[in-house]
Amino acid sequence: MAHPPPKHRQLPDKETKLFRELLTQYELKQYKKGIKAADTILKKFPNHGETLALKALTLHSSLPEPLTVSAVPKKEEAEAMARLAIKKDITSHITWHVLGILAKSRKDWDEASRAFAMARKQDPDNIPLIRDSIALLTHTRQYSAALAARHHYLLLRPPIRASWFALVIAHQLNGDLDEALQVYNDYQTTLKEEGATGPEKSQILLHVIRICIEAGKDQEGLDKLRQGVKDKIISPRGECTLLKAQMFANLGRQEDALQTYQELLEQNSDNLEYYKGYLQNKGIDLSAELTEESRSKILETLSGFAESFPRSAAPRRLALDYSTGDKFRELAKAYIVKGLERGVPSLFVDVKGVYTDSDKMKIVGEIVEEIVAKLEKDASLSDDDSISPPTVLLWAYYFLSLHLSHPSQTTPDHTRSLTLLDQALEHTPTLPELYMAKAMVLKRSGDLLNAAYEMEKARLLDGQDRFLNGKAAKYWLRAGEIKKSEELLAMFTKKDLTPTQDLTDLQCLWFLQEQGDSYRNQGNLAMALKRYQALATVFQDYEDDQYDFHTYCMRRMTLGAYISLMRYEDQLRSHPGYFKGALSAIEIYTKVFDDPSITEEKISPEEEAERKKQAKKAQKAEAKAKKAAATSGEKADPPVPDADPTGIQLLKTETPLEDALKLWKPLERLAGERIETWLAGYEILRRQKLYLAALKALKTAQSISPSNPTLHYQILNFNKITSSNTELPESIKSVIKSELPSLLSTSPEEFSSSFLEKAKSPEELYEGARGLLQLNGSTEKVKDVLLKLGDKSTKPSIEYMTKSLDLFRSISESKEDIEQLRSKYAEKLPSAWVFKSSSEIDKQIKEFEKSIEGYQGEKSVEQSEKK
Amino acid sequence: MDIRQATNANLLNLPENYTFKYYLYHALTWPELSYVAVDPRGRIVGYILAKIGHVTSISVLRPYRRLGLANKLMKQSQEAMVAHYNASHITLHVRKSNRAAISLYRDTLGFEVHAMEKGYYADGEDAYGMRYLFNKPETIA
Repeated sequence: MAHPPPKHRQLPDKETKLFRELLTQYELKQYKKGIKAADTILKKFPNHGETLALKALTLHSSLPEPLTVSAVPKKEEAEAMARLAIKKDITSHITWHVLGILAKSRKDWDEASRAFAMARKQDPDNIPLIRDSIALLTHTRQYSAALAARHHYLLLRPPIRASWFALVIAHQLNGDLDEALQVYNDYQTTLKEEGATGPEKSQILLHVIRICIEAGKDQEGLDKLRQGVKDKIISPRGECTLLKAQMFANLGRQEDALQTYQELLEQNSDNLEYYKGYLQNKGIDLSAELTEESRSKILETLSGFAESFPRSAAPRRLALDYSTGDKFRELAKAYIVKGLERGVPSLFVDVKGVYTDSDKMKIVGEIVEEIVAKLEKDASLSDDDSISPPTVLLWAYYFLSLHLSHPSQTTPDHTRSLTLLDQALEHTPTLPELYMAKAMVLKRSGDLLNAAYEMEKARLLDGQDRFLNGKAAKYWLRAGEIKKSEELLAMFTKKDLTPTQDLTDLQCLWFLQEQGDSYRNQGNLAMALKRYQALATVFQDYEDDQYDFHTYCMRRMTLGAYISLMRYEDQLRSHPGYFKGALSAIEIYTKVFDDPSITEEKISPEEEAERKKQAKKAQKAEAKAKKAAATSGEKADPPVPDADPTGIQLLKTETPLEDALKLWKPLERLAGERIETWLAGYEILRRQKLYLAALKALKTAQSISPSNPTLHYQILNFNKITSSNTELPESIKSVIKSELPSLLSTSPEEFSSSFLEKAKSPEELYEGARGLLQLNGSTEKVKDVLLKLGDKSTKPSIEYMTKSLDLFRSISESKEDIEQLRSKYAEKLPSAWVFKSSSEIDKQIKEFEKSIEGYQGEKSVEQSEKK
Repeated sequence: MDIRQATNANLLNLPENYTFKYYLYHALTWPELSYVAVDPRGRIVGYILAKIGHVTSISVLRPYRRLGLANKLMKQSQEAMVAHYNASHITLHVRKSNRAAISLYRDTLGFEVHAMEKGYYADGEDAYGMRYLFNKPETIA
């Protein structure tokens, strides 16, 4: 710096030396020494801002991760000290830089951005500061500012090779591909790639070729690729060849593209994308409706590949997607027979992909029935006698039972499914897959407790298998047995943590969702919400995880992987895992808004007694731990405990709709093509009385799927709440008046009755009934609609029948009517517990207990734990 | 590869787990070496997570066994190690009790046991260190 430091920053020689030592000690992670040095300076110069800042930083870095109880006040002290440092020396780049680093570690990106900007104003050429700023600007997607900082950095440090490639990436992220290529090409002519390792050079060149493709400069890319292979910079294996194929295709060189896809298939004949790429270059548009001619062309090609790659199932499986009628029957039969003979457990899951076509589903059923009939007569399926028919029959029973109970069937036959599996079990009683299948069929029939019990049997056949363990835990959760499921999960989680804590730490999404659902189904909305929010936090962590890689990848030169990461992170929350959890949480928030009284804890005297017992136990344990710590001489310093272990604070939010909106915003941005996003958005926005935004949500939903049943209900709901609202401003009223007819072109009554006339699916009937209620339809009329869910011709749906029964219970005052609906549903799904009367359930539970008498579950749990 | 799904497959199958960031670290350091197996709907049913000369983790979901997926995943990763990093060998650790896996590595894939590591796993179980040398005459095609 040209100017001498201001007076308040100057220190005598002795302290200046100490200050330098402090810097070194911080970098060497000698935090204790550092703090001591800082204290010595501060004794004489308590107002020295930069020392205060460095002490704050050193103290903060010395704290344990995760934070312990005793560290909490130290963290607060460090934060306060960093702020004080700014007050004492507002023109120092150090004080601002430290404030930014602390904010960054709190993941407060806004404050970090502001602090780094202030720091750079004080010292624009500070290298570590620029480096930190680039990472932060990139992380917060301020690409043009990141590019400017990158430029500046390069000017200060031009000979560093990595900086040039980082500039290429900065241009690419900023959307300027031509400039990115220009920088690369200039660099090539001005500097040699000294010092780069082979793999680094390969990463760089491959990525530049990718940029060429994205920029539409396929010829340039192809030239670079050829040169790179010739110079042995890049290996022709894998991605290089794929890029070559894409460039040939883009350049219209179909013959070359075909040849290249052929090479790729020889490298990996199990990659579906390679087959699709090959077919596309044969002039077949796979995304369009296929003609007979192109179908036979596809099948011919695939059959050739099936011969060349006999060990790959991919070409034979793809052929099932592209064939129809008798050809499909022939191919499917061969495929299924082969799978059954090999005893492939996933055969059904693999084949059911074609069930979106109901004709194909029917044919598959016929094929397997035929196979079963033949095998039952003990005849072999092929000429090869080496394959024992009984084993094949076992897998055929397994396949057929999954087929018959599949939800795509209009009338799933759960009874026959279970009979088939019992027959298979007579043959092989030790195969876990058969019990797993039984569990699944029972689950589909609505008998969750017996389903869990069968899954438990599967688990007990192989206590070491974590997959079976997890499945059993999941089935217990669905049956409402949360404690039981935790006992099982604990067999594979860390011993010093609760299974919930360990699985949360490990970001186990299925568990968070399923346990949340289980709590929700039991009416414990607080714990449900806690799990759904934990799920959202996992996604926040996924997002934050990329931070270190902004710097790391520039050093490692893994540029292509880095760009993939950036794109992945940008659409992270479009993931079905986030989607489901967010929608579940939003539903709870809207419920809380509608009726805040549900946040009041309703606990039975037994539960209260249990809680007191637990609290006492915890107190005792704590006292014991303290005592133990005192005798061992070590201070107990546990991690900071969960401030809201029951989730009740979360549920008792003052701002349920704002909380819901926070979860919804990413969906609006990233999952806008899914109608559920807008349906959920409507439920938030209309409660916020943001009628125009709600209207927009409805219109977007309509553009995605005009016949969606929930949308039907919401349109009627919107009409009702806006037409009855007398306080609406004129301007809003007039917009609604002009826009609503595009959603509701007839009278609401007509809209409803014409919908109900056509309503067939369980979902349509249920939403139609809800729509009717918006028109103040009579309870009798609603009942008539809901009864149809129990008709023979309607597909059974536990979900919608349960919702319907709940809906009817909430509106009807007639016990007889409720009973009529319940008994009709019970008749339709005789195994489903949710539709049984309480006396039947009591009887069922007794039967269940009898059937598991002598069941060694608990004992075996202990045994396998010992193993 | 969708790392989130790979972590899911790992959590469903194996007792040794890692967080998302550890998968990121592999994918962003040796992008060519990790592979996934997906079902026709694109869901991950198996994966191999590898670095130069070492397999960190390999797993196939239980319902997707008997398809030879572990074998195929391993071969893809091995070939990539040779092509991109000129690796001379590949090592891995396996639980002493995991006979099925040991048999796959030894009998099908040509690994041999070269070390025994006492108490390698968090629960105290011993591990076999297994190794495959690439310069053997019957090097994979």
